[in-house]
Formats: sequence, C-alpha cells, structure tokens
Amino acid sequence: MSIRLGTADLAKYPFLNEAAEYMHQTYFNLDDLNLPELRHIVERASNRIRGEIEHGKPDFTLERHEIEILTFLVEILIIKAINSDNLTKKHCLCEALRAEKFLVHDLKTHAEPSTKKLLLFKVFKELLKMDVLPSMKYQLMFEVKVTDYLKRSHLFHEQEWKLINRLVHDGRVFLDPDETVRLIRAEVTNLLLERIKQMNPSHIPATIKEQANILKASIPTASRKLAIAPSAYPPCVNHALNLMAVGENLPHSARVMLATYMLAIGKNIEEIVSLFKNAPDYDERVSRYQVEHLAGERGSRVRYLVPSCTKLRNDGLCFATSQCDGLINPVQFGRAVKYYRETNLR
Amino acid sequence: MIPTKTGKDLQMMKAAFREFYFNHGNRIEEPVRIQNREFGLMGFDGVMKRHLGFSSLGRLVASLVLETPSDVFASNAQYDFPVLPISEKGWRGADLIFDIDLKDLDLKCRLSHSYMTCFSCRSCYLGSEDRCPKCDSNNFAEVTLPCDRCINGLKSEVTKLHRFLISDIGISPEKITTYFSGNNGFHVHVLDESFNDLNSQARADLAAYIMGIGILADVIGVRRNTHKDFRVRFPLGGLDYGWRKRISDKLGISITSQRKLTKLVKELGDIEQFRKRVADIAKEMGVRIDSQVTTDIHRVFRMPGTLNSKSGLTKTLCLDLDSFDPFDESCQLSDREVAVEIMPPRLKLRLKGERFSLSEEIVRVPLFIGVYLISKGLAHAV
Repeated sequence: MSIRLGTADLAKYPFLNEAAEYMHQTYFNLDDLNLPELRHIVERASNRIRGEIEHGKPDFTLERHEIEILTFLVEILIIKAINSDNLTKKHCLCEALRAEKFLVHDLKTHAEPSTKKLLLFKVFKELLKMDVLPSMKYQLMFEVKVTDYLKRSHLFHEQEWKLINRLVHDGRVFLDPDETVRLIRAEVTNLLLERIKQMNPSHIPATIKEQANILKASIPTASRKLAIAPSAYPPCVNHALNLMAVGENLPHSARVMLATYMLAIGKNIEEIVSLFKNAPDYDERVSRYQVEHLAGERGSRVRYLVPSCTKLRNDGLCFATSQCDGLINPVQFGRAVKYYRETNLR
Repeated sequence: MIPTKTGKDLQMMKAAFREFYFNHGNRIEEPVRIQNREFGLMGFDGVMKRHLGFSSLGRLVASLVLETPSDVFASNAQYDFPVLPISEKGWRGADLIFDIDLKDLDLKCRLSHSYMTCFSCRSCYLGSEDRCPKCDSNNFAEVTLPCDRCINGLKSEVTKLHRFLISDIGISPEKITTYFSGNNGFHVHVLDESFNDLNSQARADLAAYIMGIGILADVIGVRRNTHKDFRVRFPLGGLDYGWRKRISDKLGISITSQRKLTKLVKELGDIEQFRKRVADIAKEMGVRIDSQVTTDIHRVFRMPGTLNSKSGLTKTLCLDLDSFDPFDESCQLSDREVAVEIMPPRLKLRLKGERFSLSEEIVRVPLFIGVYLISKGLAHAV
C-alpha cells in the first residue's frame, strides 16, 4: 500500500507494521537504550507498566510518534525481561484498550473518508485480516462481513451482540464506531501477546534489566493458592481453575460455569471472587457484583444454575473423562465420584 | 419409534438396497475433498460404524455394495485424518448445513395420514390416540406418511430459509444446494468456504438469527427508561433491513411512527408485554430448522444419492424446488413385484407416478412400495 499513515497515527498505534518499519529505518540499536539521552523513554515505559501492575489500567497520554514508538518497544522489552505470563497478558490488554480508545475517537471524528478508510485498512485489514468499510448508506456506521462478525461476537455474552439484534443486510453487519472497535479487542490483545512470545531479542540492555528487576519486585504475589482437588472437581471445572491459576483470560461462559459450580457446592462469595484474582482484567468490584448476581443477591434476584453438560459441550468447555459417563451436569460429578469410592471401599 | 421388523423384512430391504447400490451407485454425489471426510455406515442391525474414510467415490460405492448399510453418512467437516478419534482428526472446517423436518412444523393435516401400530396386539390404525383402541395398551408406535400438503409446508420453510441466507446473510444462490432428505424433510447445504471455519458458538448464533430467537425490543427502538417505563428512540441505521424491517412491517410502523409505536406499547400493557410480542413475532417469522444440526461442526450427515432406511427413498437433489416431487423423483428402487402383508385396514399413497389403494391383506406390489411400507412399519414381507 503506497499511502502511508501519518506520524500522529503511528503514535496512537505503535504496534502497526509501519511503526516497526519506522524503527528499522532509524537504524536503532538496542544498546542505545543505555544512553542517558533515552533515559526518559525507559522511565516513561517503566512508569506505564507500574501503573498497569498497580491499577490494571492503561495510560492514555500521547506524545510525539518517536517517543510513543520507542516507549512501546521498551515496554515490551521490560515485559519480556520480567517474564510473567500474568503481567504480559495484562499489558497486552491495556495496550489493546489504549488503541481502542484512540481508534473509536478517530473513526468518529476523522472528516476525510480517505483517512478513515486508510485507518480501517491499516488496523483491521493489514493487521487482523478483516474487511471493515465505512457505510455508504448510514453516516457514522461501518460494515463488517457476517462471517467476520460471527467469529468474534460469540465471545460477548450480552444479548445485544447476538446477530439477530444487529442490522444485517446482504452479508454485512452494520456497527457504530464503538461496536466496530470493541469487536476486535480480544484479537488485538492476542496479537500483541503472540508478538511478545515470538520476540527473541539478541540481548536485553542493562538499563532494561534494571527496570525489569525493580518492577518484578513490585508485582503482588499470586492470590492464595487455589485448593485444587482434581479428584473432587469435574474436569471442566478443573480445566478452568488451572487456566485461572496461570492468569489465562477465561471466556465469560467459563467464568459463569466456574462461579455457579462453586456456588452450588457451597463456597461463599468471598471465596469465589478470590478465584478470579489472577484474571488479566480482574476488577474486584465488578467480579463481586457478577458473583452476587449469579448467587441471586442482586439484579433479578434469580440464582443461576450450573450450565448443563450439553451447554458446556456446545460452548467448547467440556473436557469429559470416563468418570463423566452418564452425567448431565457438572454438579453430579462429586456425587458420582463419592458413590464410586464408597462402592469400591465395601 | 418404528415398529420392529421381522427377519424377512430386513432380508427384503437389504436385497433392495444392495441392488440399488450395485446398479445406481453412480448417482451418489461425491463430496468436495472426499479423502478428508469422515463416513458413517449404519447397519440394519442398528450398529453405526464411524470414523471411516474413503479416498474415492468408487471405493465408497464398492463398500456400500459389500456391506449394504441401511443409511450412509458423510461428515460436514473436513479433517486431516478422518479415520482417527475425534480429538486427533485435525478439524479443517465444516460446511454450513441446515435440516428442516416435518415434525417441527406441526401441520394440521398430520393426523389424517398418521398411523398407530400397537406392539401388543399388532393392530394398525389411521390416526393418533393415547392408547390402542383394541387392547388399550400404551405400547405403540406412530408413523406419518407425508402428504402433498406436508411437502408444500416444508417447501415454504425451505424458501424462507433461502431468503434469509441470500438477502440477510449474503450467500450467493448458486452456493446453496437443497435436497429432499428421503423421508420427512429437506436438507440445505451451503458450499461457501468463507463460512467453513465458524465454530459451534458462531453457528449457534447464526441458527438463532434464522430461527428468530433472542431478539430484543431495542432493535426497533423500544428501550427501558430509568425515569419512565420506556422510551422510543429508533436505532442508528433505522428499520430498513433484516429483522428490524420484518418486525416493524408486521407491527405496521416505520421510522416516522414514533407516536404510533409508543401507543402500541401502552396498549399492550408495558414494555415486558411488548418484548414478548416482538419475540413471538420473530419466532413465527423465523425458519423452523433443527439448530443442533447447524451448530454441530462434527456432524455426519446423510449423503446425497443414498437411501433412507426410514422410507426406502433417496436423499435427492432439488434443482427446482417448486416443481420437485419427492414421491416421484426420490423413489428409485426397482418395480419388480414382491409380496407383502399390509397392516392398516386401509392405506392410500402415491409413489413413482402411481396411486395405490391398499387394504389389510397380502398383496403383490412393486418393490419400491413394499420397501416404503416395511420401512414405515405398515407392512411385513411375506
């Protein structure tokens, strides 16, 4: 593509291919980061990561593109040096949230259709292989292919994201700027995660290692050890607990399964909320509200039941073993194992 | 549940099926990339052999002649290693498929061509009761012989599905293939590879869209308000297309009828009643597909051109849905005569362009009639 993004855009989206090309063209060397002239960049990156550790929220300040691109690079070097899966995921989510805010603003306010189209091409098409076009029929709306929408929308549990509640015509789904950008948050997060995983720098500069060590010491220790008793919990619950323990981002349906199961076996709200502490997007207030809602203590005051095995299979959350034979709900598992043990002890 | 078949019944059916596959195996439609499909062969003993693979149609047909299964299935999915267990097959994507069955349509004519067969006294009656009228047993089977009205009802549903797929989902008509299932329904296959890598959840969402399930009143602008009961504010994008247009046309409202819509909600009672009304309209206007079939990315689906053991008819391609006559075009067994004992007191049907009026006796009929009635549990081989 001969048309290039402006430098202001590179500052907002430093993960784009063009930003990497810019770095390449400046003949930047990793050891330059040890120079006093770039100390402020290293400190800026370090402060951002500290903010992510302490508050879990992104930094929305915007400097010149040279500063932002370098800050982005230094951040991922520090993250790589710290080598914490949980923090890496948290950082990628924050970067995705940051880009999301700028992108929504740009899609809403860019006057020139050609500029808007370029941004859509660079972010959606080049990066995510997704065709998004400004709608010719409806101002301020964007068109996404039905297949591209369906591949992403199933990650959202809210009813408004179901296809039937969207404007659909001739293979296209029409979305406003917020919805268009929200659709790709998980994908951008995973893209950044993959990039960091695949990154293999020849060496980590001393100043980066120093910052990484300082920040590593400030990461809170993992929440209390989860008392996993594999033989007591069904495989689906165990799988979710294991993913939670290593800070993986569970889909909403898995979180509902985990929370409702724990409620069903008698765990209290506090115990269940603490299960989610390792989630990259953990927010105690939100988690507590959601668990209380599932317990019937808020909202509709209806206590949610544990999803059936059929539902879990359809959602890709079933990891059945032979001990699951004949079961139709995970809550039956404990009773089946208990009966099996008691029967075999006689 | 179909009444039990005797040994002679199974013998006749098996011979007929073998004859068909030997003479007409070339009518079986080869799936795209056959070597990547999993096959399932159901035996007349009720045992299903799955995880089978064939590198060519010729090899498959040879197997059908040799083994003579009652039903033949091929996966909608393509796999790297189709013969391995499901967790090791290496899923590469699955065709989008739909199943529309008579049992989901609840047509009024059903009782006029449904038969009861009592397992206790072996009586057979037209109609449907809670218990056997002769011996009062509740151990019986019910079988439906679809009539022209049933077929027309199914065709309407298929046409509705086509409209959704083409004008909403944007699938080209030439990528949509429709088949008569061989018994009481129609299958629609979509050969558009852009849909192949949709997972189960995405397909479930698509199925719900087509069925009209899960719609919110918000989509036509009625939302709950924290200060008042509700407010009307039409969505960005208006009511021009898709479900918004369907619902608003049915309610007789447009983008200029804010007052009319407000009045309608109040007349119904409150926003909850309006939501229920919208949901009912959507369900009524939706297509009655079997969502489990569409959602399943590991489905083995009846192969086009193969026999359906519930009827002895074949799953047949419909080139022109309006003119397609399943009682003629799907009836492909031979017409050599066989002797069967008819169970119901009276029975009328039409197959292969001929009308038959039969009664409770032993008669000689063409093979295709004999197999059809034995499959349905309404006759036994003699």
